[in-house]
Amino acid sequence: MDLAAALFLGTVASYALACAFFFAHLARGGERSTRLATRTLAASIGLHVVFLGVTMADAGRPGLAGIHQTLAVLSFLVALGFLASMRRRRLTVLGAFITPVTLLLLLGAGLRGHVTEVPEHVRSAMLSVHIVVNVLGIVAFALAFAVALAYVIQEQLLRRKQLGGVFQRLPALDVLDALGLRLVTIGFPLFTVGVVTGSIWAAQLGRGSASLSTGQNFALLAWLFFACVLLARAAAGWRGRRAAVGTMLGFLCALAAIGGYLLQSAGGT
Amino acid sequence: MTTELIVVGVSHRTTPVELREQLAVDAERCATDLHRLVDESGLTEAVLVSTCNRVELIASTRERALALRAVTAYFNERTAPGALDGCIYEHTGVGAVRHLFRVASGLDSMVLGEPQILGQVKEAFTLAHDEGTVGTLLGRCFDRSFKVAKRVRSETDIAEGNVSVSSIACDLAEKIFGDLAGRAVLLVGAGKMGESAARSLAARGARLTVINRDPQKAARVAAACQGDARPMEALATELAVADVVITSTSKPDFLITPELMEGVGKMRRWKPIFFIDIAVPRDVDPRIGSLRNVFLYDVDDLEKVSRENLSARQRAAGEAERIVDAEVAEFERWMHSLALSPTIVALREKVRGIVLAEKQKVLPRLDGLNPQQAQALDRMCESIVNQLLHRPLTELKQGGEDAQDTVLLVQRLFGLTVDAEQPSPGESQAEAELEAATRRRT
Repeated sequence: MDLAAALFLGTVASYALACAFFFAHLARGGERSTRLATRTLAASIGLHVVFLGVTMADAGRPGLAGIHQTLAVLSFLVALGFLASMRRRRLTVLGAFITPVTLLLLLGAGLRGHVTEVPEHVRSAMLSVHIVVNVLGIVAFALAFAVALAYVIQEQLLRRKQLGGVFQRLPALDVLDALGLRLVTIGFPLFTVGVVTGSIWAAQLGRGSASLSTGQNFALLAWLFFACVLLARAAAGWRGRRAAVGTMLGFLCALAAIGGYLLQSAGGT
Repeated sequence: MTTELIVVGVSHRTTPVELREQLAVDAERCATDLHRLVDESGLTEAVLVSTCNRVELIASTRERALALRAVTAYFNERTAPGALDGCIYEHTGVGAVRHLFRVASGLDSMVLGEPQILGQVKEAFTLAHDEGTVGTLLGRCFDRSFKVAKRVRSETDIAEGNVSVSSIACDLAEKIFGDLAGRAVLLVGAGKMGESAARSLAARGARLTVINRDPQKAARVAAACQGDARPMEALATELAVADVVITSTSKPDFLITPELMEGVGKMRRWKPIFFIDIAVPRDVDPRIGSLRNVFLYDVDDLEKVSRENLSARQRAAGEAERIVDAEVAEFERWMHSLALSPTIVALREKVRGIVLAEKQKVLPRLDGLNPQQAQALDRMCESIVNQLLHRPLTELKQGGEDAQDTVLLVQRLFGLTVDAEQPSPGESQAEAELEAATRRRT
């Protein structure tokens, strides 16, 4: 086993452990489990940095060389974004929803053991912008997904009058709703730029809209969901459960888009 | 005769409110009564705790029987003859300590684990302290009771989850809206429980609007919370802007129906709204609970939460009692050492006196002692005292069932004349001796 593979497994194991601690904290509460979960996540992020460094060194250059490395960076940024933004707001309990997403994205990055280079003839500045803004947009959407999931669970507990431990530990509905809106508002313009630059890049390569891949279709669907969520919030006063479900569906479409690109990459096209 | 702690009082467990309210005292009366009790009832220290659920005197005395009689008479003189028969309870010694620790921890409260009692006990103690009716024993006992209460609160779930309907309603509102500052609360009707819940929400910064069929009543309740009073006709308009709605009218049928809420929902663009229906029969049609962003809790829901929280507190109470037991045992050891103090002081003075007298006898025969030699002689004398006393002090400190016999034996062996009513400074010195003896032993 080479160093990169060992680091990858170590990082995955560390995230899985952080995930377990976050679940324990959500289920049983207590300062100890919060501390353990946060520290384990911080350690996972540290390992993740080393893993990224080693894989970039292997690739011979920094950057987002292909879907797998993009996913590895994306999962890293999701974890980092969570730790940086939620800890200050005392919303670490949301780690129970965000660490599984991080883990899933990282596992996606490891579906193939090595980094696939982007073919020389399709590389361009537009592609770099497309990838960077998409990654940042999806980081915001991933965090919004975790917040929306927490909202849906909390709302169900409140309606079913199950006011036990999980209900007590999750934040107030209004706090989650406002945070979800903010994250989608941050992510949407970035994702929009990503979609536009992706379209321009595809046009430059002579790929028309008739030949959209599965990944591109899902990406457009995700964009549509988030656009509808923001529009309905502004125009029809959507908030609460509907907005949360819309956000979750949007992110699932974004995940499906990533899955499509992974399949495309595996197919060698 | 040794100093002993006593508790005499009445509480919600033994005495109806009609009698408790006759015994309750305000701060001014409390100060006067404390001095009177200390002067006339054979008490050395006294603290009077007076709350809506209990009136208790916690005191120390060297004449237990006399003090108990006098304090019981103090309670009886303020009610009709015989009215308090069977109502007044007494605790003495360790029982009194245990009672105070349990009271401060909320274990003896009407609402198990409620936190207000600790503040009330602290206030009573501060008042007595300022009046000069608190000394070493009571001071230590109260100080310990505050620490026990803190331990119980931090190490058990005794204070987790509110049990009063108004507090539960506030907690739920905070779980929906987060910070309640500036939120609009609408109180429809003015039942006592609804009013209490509205006041609690207003206390957390919410704006209150009161709607009632009786405009004067609405104005009175609104004025108490710096809120606004509105007529019943304004119900739909107020529902359109309210975040929390508390209903407690005596209307026989539903006041708030799905049809009304459909219209109101559109006006408010389905902003979340929380209904707390405390009325029986209910004011809010339960079908509106399934509408978008509408959350509805009726009195049964709130009482169910209250029962669950209370049940959780009762489970925690066992653990809390164990903490109290351990702390009482610790305090008992301290009281035991305090009771030993006069004997220890006398023993130390006796032995030191003998050694110093012998030193004085030999000094004239030791001509030409330089300062170092004189210092060495002093150290040797001190060492003899310490070594002689080490074993007796250790035995005394160990206490146990035959502690009193050991004290008497030491007194007899060393020919000590002990005054049990020695002042505190000597006791403090004796405590230090005991600590030193313990350190040497370990």
